[in-house]
Amino acid sequence: MNRCLLLALSGALACPAAVPADQPPPAAEHDACQVPNNLILGPRTADRPLPLLSGDAAHGFHPACTVSWTTLSPKSEPLPVVGCYRGNLLQVANDAACGGGTGRLWVSIRWVLTTGERQAAQTRATTCQQLDTGSYAATRDYGCVPAAKAPAAASGAAPRTFPDSAPGPAAAAPPAATAPAAGTPHPDP
Amino acid sequence: MSMGGARSIARGLRAARPRLLPGALHSLLLAAVALFFLNFNLLGTASPSKRYSQDLVYAWFGDQPWLYPRPLPASTHGAREQPHVVVVIIDEQALALRGAHWPVPLQFHSQFLAELEVLRPRGILLDFLLLDPSPREDICELLGVGARLRADDIRLYLAVTRREDLDALDAAGCRDARGQPLVARHIFTPVSVVRQADDTDFVGRRYPFEQLAAGGRPLPSAAVHMYCGDGRTPASADCLGRLTGAGLANAGFELAWSPQGDPFNQRWSHASCVETASPLQAILNKPALPRESRCPPVATLFATALLSPEADPTLGAANEALFTLADGAFLMVGGNFRGTGDLVTTPLHTLLPGVYYHAVALQNLLAFKGYPKVRKEFRTPKIAFYSYDLLVLWLLAAIFLWRQHWLYGVRPLGLSPFAISPAARSWLAPFFARFPAPVWILCATVLLLCMAAYHDLQLIAVGLIIVAVVIVELRVAGEGEIWERARGLLLYLAAMSLSLAVIVGAVWVGYRWLRLPPGDWLGYFSFAAFGFFVAHTAILEFGRRIDELYAARAASGQPP
Repeated sequence: MNRCLLLALSGALACPAAVPADQPPPAAEHDACQVPNNLILGPRTADRPLPLLSGDAAHGFHPACTVSWTTLSPKSEPLPVVGCYRGNLLQVANDAACGGGTGRLWVSIRWVLTTGERQAAQTRATTCQQLDTGSYAATRDYGCVPAAKAPAAASGAAPRTFPDSAPGPAAAAPPAATAPAAGTPHPDP
Repeated sequence: MSMGGARSIARGLRAARPRLLPGALHSLLLAAVALFFLNFNLLGTASPSKRYSQDLVYAWFGDQPWLYPRPLPASTHGAREQPHVVVVIIDEQALALRGAHWPVPLQFHSQFLAELEVLRPRGILLDFLLLDPSPREDICELLGVGARLRADDIRLYLAVTRREDLDALDAAGCRDARGQPLVARHIFTPVSVVRQADDTDFVGRRYPFEQLAAGGRPLPSAAVHMYCGDGRTPASADCLGRLTGAGLANAGFELAWSPQGDPFNQRWSHASCVETASPLQAILNKPALPRESRCPPVATLFATALLSPEADPTLGAANEALFTLADGAFLMVGGNFRGTGDLVTTPLHTLLPGVYYHAVALQNLLAFKGYPKVRKEFRTPKIAFYSYDLLVLWLLAAIFLWRQHWLYGVRPLGLSPFAISPAARSWLAPFFARFPAPVWILCATVLLLCMAAYHDLQLIAVGLIIVAVVIVELRVAGEGEIWERARGLLLYLAAMSLSLAVIVGAVWVGYRWLRLPPGDWLGYFSFAAFGFFVAHTAILEFGRRIDELYAARAASGQPP
C-alpha cells in the first residue's frame, strides 16, 4: 500500500508540465493560431495601452512601443490577423504604429479580443499550475544546442540571465533559439 | 472599596514588608539565573527552542489579523491606495510561449516588462541576476523599456550581487531616441537578494535589512528598498535610514508567516489554500506545524496566464480580475525552473521559490507599517531588551516562590502535590514485589520502549498511569491527606494560570509594542511549568546562607 502511494506520489511530482523550451507548449483547447480568418475586434480594456512587438519567430521579438487602439486601427475597425505565434502573439498588417522600420507589428492576445475567442465556449476553466519545489542533488543542465543563434554565438555574448541562486553560468554556450512554431499567416479576408 | 478594607490591606502590606524585600530580591536572583540559562547558547543549543516556539505561534495564529495584519488578499480589493504584493512566476511554459529557454534571455525580460506595464503596478522587482554578457541591442532594448516604465512612474528594482553588476549594462553605452544616455542605475534600483537562514535548521525566518559590502556602501535588501522607496506607503521619511545602516552582521527582521494561502491562488493551485490545523491538533500529538502546502500566502500570477488568456480565462474577458489583482501592486517577478535550486524553506517548513522570500518580507513591512519584528540581539540598546526579559522572568520567579511558600505552608513536610505519597508507595511496592526483579524491570523497560517508539501510545500510556496512581492514592491515603493534596494541586493550577497570564501578556507587549518576535514564550513556559525554576533553587539556598553570614557579621559588630 505504502509502495503504491509512493509510486503515485513520485508520479505526481514528476508530472508537472515542464515544457522543453525548444518545443511549442502543448496545444491549448482554444488556439488562436488555429482559427481561420481571425480578426482582432478591439482592445479588451478601453483605457489601457497596447504593448506592441516587432520582429519574428526566427530572430526573436522586441518591444516596439505602446499605443492606444486608435493608433493601431485609426477607424477602430477590426484588424485581420496576418500572423500568429504559439497561440499568444497576433500579427497585424500595421507596420507604422511605432514609427518606421519595425515591420509588421505583433500584439499579445491577452490585450485584444478576437473573433476566434468569441466563438469559443465561455465556460473554460483555469489551467492548473504547480510550483516546482523539488530539491535535487544535481545541477541543472543548460540544454545547450550550439550555433542556433548565429549573432550571439559569433560574438560569444549570450543573452542569458539567471534567477538568483541559480547555478552559475559556467562555460555553457547560449541556448538554442526555438524553431518557429505554428505561425500560420492568414491572408487578408 | 470601603475605608476599612483599604486600611486592612495597608496593615497587611506593612506586616508583610519585612518579607517582601527579601522575597523580591530572591526572586530577582532566580530570574537572573533563569535569564542566563535561557540565553546560554552553547553551540546553538538554545536557538531551536526559540525558533520552534516562534514557528508554532505563526502556524497556529499566523492567519489571525491581530497577530499578522497582512494586506488583504489582493483579489478582494485591488485599490491603488492599498499597497499589496503579487508574485509573478516565470517558468518553462511561459518561456516556451515566446520561444525562449532557461536561462531567461534578456529579450524575454524586455518583452515581459512591456506586458507588465499595462497592469500599472506600483513597482516591479526582477528577481533575476543579469550577470552574463548580452548583446548590446538586447541590453539597450531592456533599458529602453525600463526607461519607459520609469517615465510612467513604475519603479523598477533589479536583483544584483553587488552594485557593480549594473556596470555591465552601462558598458553598452545605450541611448534613447533623443540621443540621451540610458543609465542603468537611473532606471533600475539595484537591490540585494541575499537570503539568510537560521544556523540551526536553515529555515529562512529572518530577512536581512541590507547586504554589507566590504569597503563599499551597503546594499539595501529588495523588500526594504521597495517599501521605503515607494513614497506612497505609510513609511516615514527616514525609513531606509531607520531600517538599514545598523552595520550589524546578519541583522534582519523576523518574517511573520501565515499558514493560509492567498485565496487568489485557489484558481490554479491543486493544493487547498485553506489550512485547517488547530492548536488542539498540535497538543494531541499531531504535527504541530501545518502540513506542507503548495498554496503560497502571496497572490501569484503565472506568466503563462498573463501571456495567454487560454491559461486562465477566469481573469476576465476584459481582464477585470487581472487588473484588480495587479493594479497598484508591487510585482515581484521570479523564476520557478525545475532544478535551479532557487528555493527557500519557509518558517512553516515548506519549500517555495525564492521570490516568495522577498514577497513575504514586503508583506511584513506593509503589515507592520515599516516596523517589523526584530530579535533582541539586533536591537539598540540591546541591554534594554534583555532587561525586559529579566522583568518577565522576575514576575514568573515571584509567582513560583509565592507558590512554594504557600505549598510549604499547607504541607509542612514539603511533599510535592505530584509526588506519590508514602502510603501509596507502601501499597504499590508489595504489588510489584510479587514478581522477581528481572521480570518487572524488563516489563517496565518494554513499556517505556514502546512509548518512546510509538508516539500515539505516549498520551494514552501517560493518561493511564496517572489514572492508576490517582486511584491508588484515593484508596490508600487518608481523607486529610487527600484534602491537602487537592489544595496543593489547586495552588499549582492557580500559580500556573497566573504564570500563563504573565507569559501571554509579556509576549503580547513584546510583540505589539517592543516589536519582538514571539520566540521566547516556550522558554518562559518551561521555567514556569516544567520545574526549571526548581532546578535552580540551589542558588536561593546559597543566597540565604550569605544573608545569614552577613547578618551574623553585622550583629557581632564586624565591618561588612
